[in-house]
Amino acid sequence: MVEPVSGFASIDELTHALQGVGYHAPRQLATSVYLAMKLQRPLLLEGEPGVGKTELAKALAKVLGRPLLRLQCYDGMEQREALYEWNHTAQLLHMRAAQDTNTADEIEREVYQPRYLIRRPLLQALQAPAPGAVLLIDEVDRADEPFEAFLLEYLGEYQVSIPELGTIKAEVAPLTILTSNRTRDLNDAVKRRCLYQWMDYPERERELAIVQSQVPEAGPALTEQITQFVSRLRSMPFVNAFQRSPGIAESVEWAKALVALDTLTLDPEVVQDTAGILFKQREDVAALIPLIDELLQPDPA
Amino acid sequence: MKLGDARSGKLPDNITGFGRALRRAGVPVDSSRIALAIDAVGLVGIERKDDLHAALRAVFVSRQQDLEVFDQLFDALFRNPELAQQLLAQMLPKVRQGQPPKRKARVQEALAAARTPAEGPRKESEIQLDAAMTASDQQRLRHADFATLNASEFHLIERLVRDVPMPLPPVPGRRTRAGTRGQRPHWAAALQQARRFEGELLWLPKRSRRPQALPLLVLVDISGSMERYARLLLAFLHNATHGRPRAAFAFGTDLTDLRPAFRQRDTDHMLDMANAAIADFAGGTRLGASLTTLRERHARTLVGRRTVVLLISDGLDTGEPEALNQEVVWLKRHCRQLLWLNPLLRFDGYAPLASGAQVLHQHADGMLAVHNLSRLEDLAQAMAQLMRR
Repeated sequence: MVEPVSGFASIDELTHALQGVGYHAPRQLATSVYLAMKLQRPLLLEGEPGVGKTELAKALAKVLGRPLLRLQCYDGMEQREALYEWNHTAQLLHMRAAQDTNTADEIEREVYQPRYLIRRPLLQALQAPAPGAVLLIDEVDRADEPFEAFLLEYLGEYQVSIPELGTIKAEVAPLTILTSNRTRDLNDAVKRRCLYQWMDYPERERELAIVQSQVPEAGPALTEQITQFVSRLRSMPFVNAFQRSPGIAESVEWAKALVALDTLTLDPEVVQDTAGILFKQREDVAALIPLIDELLQPDPA
Repeated sequence: MKLGDARSGKLPDNITGFGRALRRAGVPVDSSRIALAIDAVGLVGIERKDDLHAALRAVFVSRQQDLEVFDQLFDALFRNPELAQQLLAQMLPKVRQGQPPKRKARVQEALAAARTPAEGPRKESEIQLDAAMTASDQQRLRHADFATLNASEFHLIERLVRDVPMPLPPVPGRRTRAGTRGQRPHWAAALQQARRFEGELLWLPKRSRRPQALPLLVLVDISGSMERYARLLLAFLHNATHGRPRAAFAFGTDLTDLRPAFRQRDTDHMLDMANAAIADFAGGTRLGASLTTLRERHARTLVGRRTVVLLISDGLDTGEPEALNQEVVWLKRHCRQLLWLNPLLRFDGYAPLASGAQVLHQHADGMLAVHNLSRLEDLAQAMAQLMRR
């Protein structure tokens, strides 16, 4: 297997490159990514929805100049949707056409050719030419356990076995990112093959930088207010008041909405009107309303 | 244990020692992980402590609930070399006077173990929940240590969850999915198949009902007589029922909502939060009044008569039996099963003589013992059996 061209000599270099495409990675996360590239291990990202797990894979694809292949997992997903499928229609047509001239043996051989293979993300990632691909296995906790077991060979060796074609091994190991929202625990065997990174809600400065770079038209004052409001929402006295705290994605959406509404500063009314962007549950919106005044207080410092 | 020792080859030793300490604290770390950790540290270097920390964390930890244990142990062993040296030099406890550092009990024990490596093999098979009851009453009342698990309890819970799973049987839900068996034909799949085989239908794909987990409501008695059981059972149920719809309440003199605590992943965190939330800890039991609160404020936790209620109590109620009767009848009418887990069943010839116990005995769908390991195994089976009725 060829060493993947990571192109980054140090963690700092990687952090800067990611910042260049608008992804502000904390040092800890950058270290894990750096190790995942150097050690050729898949990286498992866990954390609440909206903290930037999927975005990281997209950003990595950009900075590495590799194609991003994305496999969205769901309950009941099968191997053929993740790996490959035979193009039955084309095979049938070929059989029809060859029926009169070829023998049965020949037909069988012809029908199981790579050109009748429909490649799905996992196989595409293995066969991606240098510099390889970034493979995102998104929300792997949604797939069921048999699928996880199927992933083991892939994650451990970067290879898969196809009965008709034999074993296919990666020429360049794809940089593999798995994400999980922890709807259930993953199998230990999967975790053992991966490096692990827990992604938390960002610190205030980092979130400020993210919102600023994503929604520059919001202006510094409003951005400051937004990040302060959201980080307070997630902080200790309030943390248990809500079913689910808003993630970075929600802060960015909120900033966009406030800009669209020509808001210059946050006030209780505008927060109440736009609370549906921060929270997606009726109970959470209801729990927010009595807290708005307290959350909008300026810093004591 | 100084990082500068790397040139003389101490670093791999230190990482190995660290990995073993993690394992003692209940974090699953095998030798291949340790080898990988040594590689990883070689890559990021040891110039920056935060990089070293991040690298070791990415390799050693694979569950969110272990992160804090990792951080605390890392702090203890790498950022505070004096402490580590103290431990390794097997110094006497007198040097650690004053305020003990606020660490998890598990971390503390993992560190302590480094001091006394020559420990005889523990007879794990003999661990029983009953052992928790040997603490003297005085100790128990003075120091109601509901908050954290120590390492051996943590290991016990981890083992229990693995060995004694609670496979509550799922019930068929209203939604369907593709399957080979089932009542309804799956027309979309049938058409797709026909397209694939030139209009032939080789077999008829079906839609089967998607299995659905029954929601669970745990009501735990935290009165003085129940304290140790309540804590270990909460820890066990928190682990064993993870991933299914569940709600938990504690009751003593009044009802405490433990749902925010149960949303935590780490069992230690859950117990910490429960400890902070419960105001009437180790007080009396007023089951009737608590159930009234449940009915008035949290009736929505009982979902369409599908909820399985686990009532963990010894039935020694100090409230009005008549009020209790009414509430239990209401509860029974609004759930699928009402199971009473009673630790007092450990006594031979136990009879529900107390008035509260009589009410529970009369209405509960089943009374199950929960006081030791083998009983806990029975519990899972008995629950599955009751569910099938």
